Amino acid sequence: MAITRRVFVKSGGLALFSAGLDPLFLARAALSLGRPGPSSAVPGRPILVCLFQRGAVDGLNMIVPHGDAIYYRERPRIAVPRRDVIDLDGYFGLHPSLAALKPWWDNGSLAAIHAVGSPDATRSHFDAQDYMETGTPGVKSTSDGWLNRYCRHEQEHEDTPFRAVAFGPQLPRILAGSAPSLAIDDLQAFGLRAPRDATRDRLTQAFEALYEGAATGLLASASDEAFEAVRMLRAANPAQYRPVDGADYPRGRFGQSLLQIAQLIKADMGLEIAFADLGGWDTHVNQGASEGQLALRLGELAQGLGAFAADLGERMRDVVVLTMSEFGRTVRENGNGGTDHGHATAMLALGGPVNGGRVLGRWPGLDPARRFEGRDVAVTTDFRDLFGEVLARHLGAPDLAPVFPGFVPDPARFPRVIRS
Amino acid sequence: MAHRSVGPLVLLVAFAPCLAAQVPAGLTPRDSALHALNRLAYGPGPGEVEQVAAMGVMRWIERQLDPQGIPDRRLEQRERAFAILDYEADELAAMFVEARRAQLERQRDSMTARAAPVDGAAARPFRRLAAEFQQLAVVRATLSERQLLEVMADFWTNHFNVFYAKGADRFLMPSYIEHTIRPNALGRFEDLLIATAQSPAMMFYLDNWQSVAPGSTPPRFPLSAMRRGGQGERSPRGINENYARELLELHTLGVDGGYTQDDVIAVARIFTGWGIERPRDGAGFAFRAWAHDEGEKVVLGQRFPAGHGRDEGLRLLRILAGHHATMHFVSGKLCARFVRDDPPDGCVDDAVAAWHHSGGDIRAVLRAIFRSPDFWAPQTVRAKVKTPLEFVVSAVRALGAEPDTTPRLAQVVGRLGQPLYLQSAPTGYPETQADWVNSGALLNRMNTAVALAAGRLPGVVVRLDDALPPAADQAQLVAAVNARVLGGAMSERTRAAISDQLSAISGGPDARIWAVGLAIGGPEFQRQ
Repeated sequence: MAITRRVFVKSGGLALFSAGLDPLFLARAALSLGRPGPSSAVPGRPILVCLFQRGAVDGLNMIVPHGDAIYYRERPRIAVPRRDVIDLDGYFGLHPSLAALKPWWDNGSLAAIHAVGSPDATRSHFDAQDYMETGTPGVKSTSDGWLNRYCRHEQEHEDTPFRAVAFGPQLPRILAGSAPSLAIDDLQAFGLRAPRDATRDRLTQAFEALYEGAATGLLASASDEAFEAVRMLRAANPAQYRPVDGADYPRGRFGQSLLQIAQLIKADMGLEIAFADLGGWDTHVNQGASEGQLALRLGELAQGLGAFAADLGERMRDVVVLTMSEFGRTVRENGNGGTDHGHATAMLALGGPVNGGRVLGRWPGLDPARRFEGRDVAVTTDFRDLFGEVLARHLGAPDLAPVFPGFVPDPARFPRVIRS
Repeated sequence: MAHRSVGPLVLLVAFAPCLAAQVPAGLTPRDSALHALNRLAYGPGPGEVEQVAAMGVMRWIERQLDPQGIPDRRLEQRERAFAILDYEADELAAMFVEARRAQLERQRDSMTARAAPVDGAAARPFRRLAAEFQQLAVVRATLSERQLLEVMADFWTNHFNVFYAKGADRFLMPSYIEHTIRPNALGRFEDLLIATAQSPAMMFYLDNWQSVAPGSTPPRFPLSAMRRGGQGERSPRGINENYARELLELHTLGVDGGYTQDDVIAVARIFTGWGIERPRDGAGFAFRAWAHDEGEKVVLGQRFPAGHGRDEGLRLLRILAGHHATMHFVSGKLCARFVRDDPPDGCVDDAVAAWHHSGGDIRAVLRAIFRSPDFWAPQTVRAKVKTPLEFVVSAVRALGAEPDTTPRLAQVVGRLGQPLYLQSAPTGYPETQADWVNSGALLNRMNTAVALAAGRLPGVVVRLDDALPPAADQAQLVAAVNARVLGGAMSERTRAAISDQLSAISGGPDARIWAVGLAIGGPEFQRQ
């Protein structure tokens, strides 16, 4: 595509370059970080990063309806005080721990989707996570995940061993299935392991020769892929991509996962789908308001997202980061200063293609009469409509029917999380 | 080093004429012994191929079908080190209640709660016991002389899957395995089915404890203690179909078993009231009459008249256990486990016929499978890829090594993708190679193999000197590895590839580690 350049002038007086009719992420990233963006950018292939908040995040304290008196009435101890909320649109605002994300909101690359969730009424973490990962709410016997089904049915994408990667010790349900996908705990340790590099290389050669000579069927093709992946990693050495200055990833597994996703993207390994998760959202007791347990968790999330976006810089033009959580939490606080298992929650989308700067989805309100079973935020966006839109309009999936069996995706219901 | 007796040969010679005839043509006695050990057992231990071949493979199979007749003293000795076996279900329940209470108190006390995971400290004793219980499964699979029993315990654990990490199942799981699955693993299917239906572990896992007749009210506030304090799971208000659906789809008839959604609802109504005692009362199975739907139900065209309580559930389970669709579905799964991923019709038919004649005697069904021509067909031999559990256990057995009592070897199985008792989906772990073979998994297996050969795999003591006496030359080394690790079935290509690699490193002290590591991590050892 033709790239036109125009000059942005920030009030601070910094001159920056951007491209295209819409302000591109290049400029956005640079703008918010106050530093110039990289000079040239060839549009790359779209990338989706899914982050699962396991334990059911309290959507109401993440994207706070501070314009609603009911919110404050129902949560005398744990509501985020108006003075602390970072206002977004006069009604909703960010939890103060998410302050680091405000610049992305302002430049239109961060959106929130509220009242999203599952049509299934379960309040079991286990079932609800399962449903969100298989993409078949209410059907327990589905064994593969919707991201894997996407990879299986969408074969336009050039298959590299790194097309779909989950960070963690095991392949999560969402990526389980017959399409190749990798679970990587540590990029550095992927491949044959030996105390010395020379031994490792010889061992790799030895196994490769063994499998080339004697493997048949699936063992042959999978081992081919494995050694190809090892070769790619060796050649590209993603670990050489150190985070850019200012990309301050949080310590711990979540931050490490994001850092390694960024490395894979920068190393051009053919990554299309990445997955990571973070726990600690099941705040039944003492969840806190502006500070406390939930604030700390949100702080880690925001720091991770901010570092990731800063680290990728202009590459965020091709990336959508989508958060998800199995359900939300009760509107009313409980007797322990916490919240119990609810229904709808809020999700975040960050990246160049995101139709950002707005809270998407139809807000059902907090009026008890409009709540689900009289107590929880009602679901107005089926999570499959959100996920489906991202697959269709960001990754370009031509057909969602095999990805979400038993569900007819309808673009009319898409929350419009991806820019037109 | 592992020493395995194959039992009193003298006694068995008497049966030789009638059984020997069933050993199929086409396989040598050695090959058929290796095949049987790969499928009915977790692979051969040192010398076992020869022992089974000498005794006659069909006679060995008969012996495995009657595990009570096989002494298993070494395993019994090892089991004593597992403290988890000393706990009764009610003791674990009491620990669980106490841990929850302590956790809630701690959280209330801490005014500025730190980011400690909400589920943290309270779960710790259970995590430790759970890890020990997983290791027990690995130890049993590795050391038991009753290998077929262990294979079938694993099969039924997956068929009647329960997720160890779901709420109360953290303390219900051990008794589920010990008292529900294992005693029935080679018994009658009907008994096993009823035992699982009356197990608190299954009732919790598939939510049946919450399933009550609409409008029924408990005599007192029910079961809230099962869940964490004030978790928001309110008192149940109607039927829950989860157990009913999985009972039909996964435990008995199979997804194409000819039932409808109306059947699922009727089954759920029949099981209303099947639940669990409160943890402080011992958390045993309980039928709560107040919650039972007393109305008439129709399942699969059969009428269940109004006014029957728990009995109608038992009647339904018996009908399902003896249903033709169940025989077919479960026989098909058994053939997929023992014969080929895509089970041959002939074998399934043989199993179904045996099921029919024997009234669902699992041993009779297995015997039919092991006598089926499909089981011995050349295209069956080495047709299946090992699961991570089968891979790890068969490798440890091949080297005559011994797992220790720490949870570490079970953790190796977990890292290879099969954390034991932790499959969250009610389908259990899959049986087909497509589910286990992928690039990351293969690399992990190669690393595991090399670590095992080098004595670096945690949780197991390997003495390569015992397993593989120093060889005079490279050819002798490869021959010894072939005999010990690959049961003498090493292909020419593998022999050539391993020999080439040994030449490349020009012998040296590591040659043995390389040869064993390559053999265990190579393609042939992934098959069984």
